[in-house]
Order: sequence, then structure tokens, then C-alpha cells
Amino acid sequence: MIIKKYLFSFIVLIMAVYFGVSFGATSGLDFDSIVQLRLPRVLLAISSGMSLACAGAVLQALFTNPLCDPYTLGVSSGAALGAALGIVLGFEAWFLGLALSAFIGALAFMLVLILISLKTRLTNLTLLLCGVMLGFLGSSGVAICMTIGDAQGMQNALFWLMGDLSRARMHGVLLTLFVSLILIFMLWRKSTQLDAFLMGEENASGLGVSVPKLRRQFIFLTSLLVGLSVASSGMIGFLGLIVPHFSRKLVGSLHFNMIPFCIIWGAVALVLADLMARVLLKPYELPVGVITAFVGAPLFIWMILSDGRSRN
Amino acid sequence: MEDQEIKPILGAYSLNYFFGEKQVLKDISFELFKGEIITIIGPNASGKSTLLKILSGILPLKEIESAGQVFCQNRLLFKMTPDERARSVVYLSSELQAEFPLTALETVLMGRICHHLHNYVEKQDIARWAMEQCVCWGLRGRFLHTLSGGERQLVNLSRALAQGSRVILLDEALSKMDLHHQTMMGMLLKKLVQKNYSIVLVSHDLNQCLSLADSCVLLLRGEKIAHGQIADIFKESNLKKLYPGASFVLGQNPTNLHPHIFL
Repeated sequence: MIIKKYLFSFIVLIMAVYFGVSFGATSGLDFDSIVQLRLPRVLLAISSGMSLACAGAVLQALFTNPLCDPYTLGVSSGAALGAALGIVLGFEAWFLGLALSAFIGALAFMLVLILISLKTRLTNLTLLLCGVMLGFLGSSGVAICMTIGDAQGMQNALFWLMGDLSRARMHGVLLTLFVSLILIFMLWRKSTQLDAFLMGEENASGLGVSVPKLRRQFIFLTSLLVGLSVASSGMIGFLGLIVPHFSRKLVGSLHFNMIPFCIIWGAVALVLADLMARVLLKPYELPVGVITAFVGAPLFIWMILSDGRSRN
Repeated sequence: MEDQEIKPILGAYSLNYFFGEKQVLKDISFELFKGEIITIIGPNASGKSTLLKILSGILPLKEIESAGQVFCQNRLLFKMTPDERARSVVYLSSELQAEFPLTALETVLMGRICHHLHNYVEKQDIARWAMEQCVCWGLRGRFLHTLSGGERQLVNLSRALAQGSRVILLDEALSKMDLHHQTMMGMLLKKLVQKNYSIVLVSHDLNQCLSLADSCVLLLRGEKIAHGQIADIFKESNLKKLYPGASFVLGQNPTNLHPHIFL
């Protein structure tokens, strides 16, 4: 049964990649330009899609809150702010300098959130509100940095704020993909312990899981994932909300199967979203974050409403 | 053999715990023996839950390490690794969280996390045994959020059994159940005690505690005011200290001759 689902998901992924490579703003490109232009872009979509989906799944377990997502919690904003500061300070020239500064930004925002949630006993929605506010803070910071940074300031700021895959280059993309896969593998190896977090932190600790240590590791790994994704493709929202939600419907909540499904469907979702961003308003190109927000924001509202209904 | 009988399976000695400035537990000591049910009775905010959470080590270790000493099977509880601790003591809260779609069987299987077993068949066998003990094997495929409060507690108790620890701490775990489930839980707990499990019971339903427990600890604002066999300390004077505003008559339960409170 589960094997059939894996098979089906793989077929969908292959089809998505095929469509992503074959359609675009211009038709009838020769093989070379496809490899140079579209393939890196599709690969970046795969890499960012799976990173964000897995980061979302881990954050949801970590905060015991199915509404969490790197974007709504402001972690992506933190990463973007880190990257923007990195550009202003000239880290862009270094190898992985941008990804590293994005990681530090994500980590900083994540630590603020964890501190907030540990010091006060927050309800799910209050935590999200704090996250959204952190997000605003980060985005404003990005706008300031980019305006100071260079003449094309706002243009670049838009890249960070709305998500855009057009900067993909083959070398960078392959490295990003490789590193993301390793990070996700490291998360997946702890999938049973991550399951325990689904029951809430106290119960997780009662189940024999070393909560503080694992929390540190998960925070570190997800910050790296988000940092890497934001550094390469800007802030793409709601993917970490949509994909885990549907993966859970497909294979249940246990992470042993759910994380692989997040990898596959995260990749599918972003490849297709990017395809839509490219062809929907031809010859203009939309930032891909616009497409994911159009699906994600209504889903988010629906989840809040149905959550409230089941409580009352 | 004789020696083993006398040693407590869980012993707490001079526990002091502060929540911020406020002292929640003041010098609490008691011992739990094999095959014993002990009930902790006290008004709201007397520190019952905190005490159980310390005994199970689920509060952050940094905060409780200095609280005092807890021995479990002759070992210091706070020196154990988290999985060892989970195999020795298990804490059951009043509500099983169901934010995510998990089936009852998946929940019970989580009890095996602390055993690091990768053989799925073996895990499943233990989960099945645990769920059959609690008469909830039939619920295995249902999602937690579709279960009633009572059914969910049965699943929660199966999870505790699957975890394999011999000491079970119940924190209001029987309070959200209807009569049928309450009776079933009561019978189940007695059966477990016969199998040498030891249980600490916290409940606001005093009569339920009285009919199940062997001995009790009376807590008032974090202080132990009495401790011993139920028959010895369950006196009107003690209860008046705990619940000054309540009016009641202390009598005898006609069915099992345990003390009983008539309102």
C-alpha cells in the first residue's frame, strides 16, 4: 500500500520535472539552453521545495502546532534579513557566505521564538502572531538593507520578500540540493524521536526522549535548511504549511514516511508553482511566492477556522 | 527475597520545589512499594501535579535536579538517561494531546520509543498486549481525535503499559471518564497492582481514590500534613484542614467497606 503511494508520488515528481523543463516563457528552445536556463531553475525548485516542506514539518512537531511554517513563524524573514545584512557587509563574495549569513539570521529568529514559547505558556495562535510580527520586522529590515546596499535596492528586496527562482545557476544549485538532502537525511534519522514531539513536549519527555538536546538539534538543522533555501530562492511562503498538511493526509503523522513524502511533494509543489509563475502571465513573470501564497493563505485560514470549530 | 519486598520501588526524599519565588513543595517525602496504590489528596494548587511531574522527571531536569532526591529501583532518578527514566516511571496526564492525526495504535507504539527497538513485529506484539490489557485493541485504527475522553485515556494507559515501566503516575487520569470507563479503569488498576505494578493516583474524586488506594498522602499548599494507611489518617479532622469550606459526612462504603465521603 505504502509502496504504491511512493510509486505514485515519484511518477508525479517526474512528470512535474518534465513539465517544468519543457515549458517556459519562450517555446522551442534548443537542448543547450534548456540545460543552462531551465534545468537549474527546476533543480532549485526541487531543493527549496523539499527543504521548506521538511522544515515546516519539523517546526510543526517542535511547537506541537500544525499551523507552523518557516514563513508564518518569521524564520524565513530572519534568514532573508541575515542574507540582506550579509550583502551589505559584503559576504556575498565568499563561498557560501550568503547561505551562512541567512542561516545565522534564521537561527536568531528561531531562538527568539523558542524563548518566547518557553518563557510564556502560549496558545497556538499567540505563538503564530508573534511569528508574523517577527516576519514583519525581518521584512522591513530587508527593505532597509537593500535600499542602503545598492542602486537596484528595491528590485533586490523584492527578490527576497516574494521568492524568486530566476537566480539559479547550475553549480550553486547542485551544491544546495546536495547539502539540503544531507540535512534532511539527518532529520529523518531522528524521525521516531520527532514523532514523540507530536504529543507535546511534556509527553515527549515522558516517552524517554531527551527534549532539550533534540530541540537544539532540530532548531539547528531547520535553521540551516531555511537559510539555505532563502539564500538561494528568497522567501517562499506557505509551502511548509501546505505540503506537510497533505503528506499527513496521505501517510499519517509518523515522520518515518512523512518526511520522504514531504521531500517528494515539496519538490513537486514548488516545481509546479514556479512553472505557473513563469507561464501564467506570459510574457511577464511572477515571483513564485505569489503563487504559493494564493494556495497557502486560504488553506491557512481554513485550518484556523476548522481548528476552532473542533475545539468548541 | 524478604529484603526486596521491603525496599521501596519509588522513594522521594525531602523534595523542595520553587516556581519562581513561590515554594510549591515543602520537604515532601514518601515511599511507594511494589504492588501498592498510593493516592495524593489535596485541594487545588496544593502541588499534586507538580509532585507527580517531578517524580516522573518530565519537568526540565535543570529545574528539578536540585529539588531533592528521588530513588527509583535503588537508582537516582535524575541521574538516569531519559530513556531509562521512561522505562522506570511513566506519567499519565488528564488529556492526551491530539493536534495531529495519529491512530490509537501509533500512539501506543510511541511507548516503545524508549526501548530503541526496530523490529516492527515485536513492537506491534507488545502494543497489542498492552491494548488488550486495557480492552482497547478494537480502537487501534481509529484516530485519537475521534475517540471519546474515556477511550482516549484507555489508549493512553496502554501506551504507558507498552512503555514497560512498573511505576505508573496517574494525574487526574480517571477524571474525564463516564461510569463505564471509570469502573473499567478501576478494575484494570487493581489487576495491574496484582501483577506488582505500583501506582500513584491523583484525583479530585475522593471516593474513587478511597476505593482504590492502600495508603495516602495529604497535601496542603505544598506541605505534607499526613501520610499513612487510609484507615489511619482519613479522619474528619484531617479533611477539614484540607477543605475547610466543605460539609460532608465520613462514612463507610457499603459495597467494599472502604471509607466513603457523603456530601
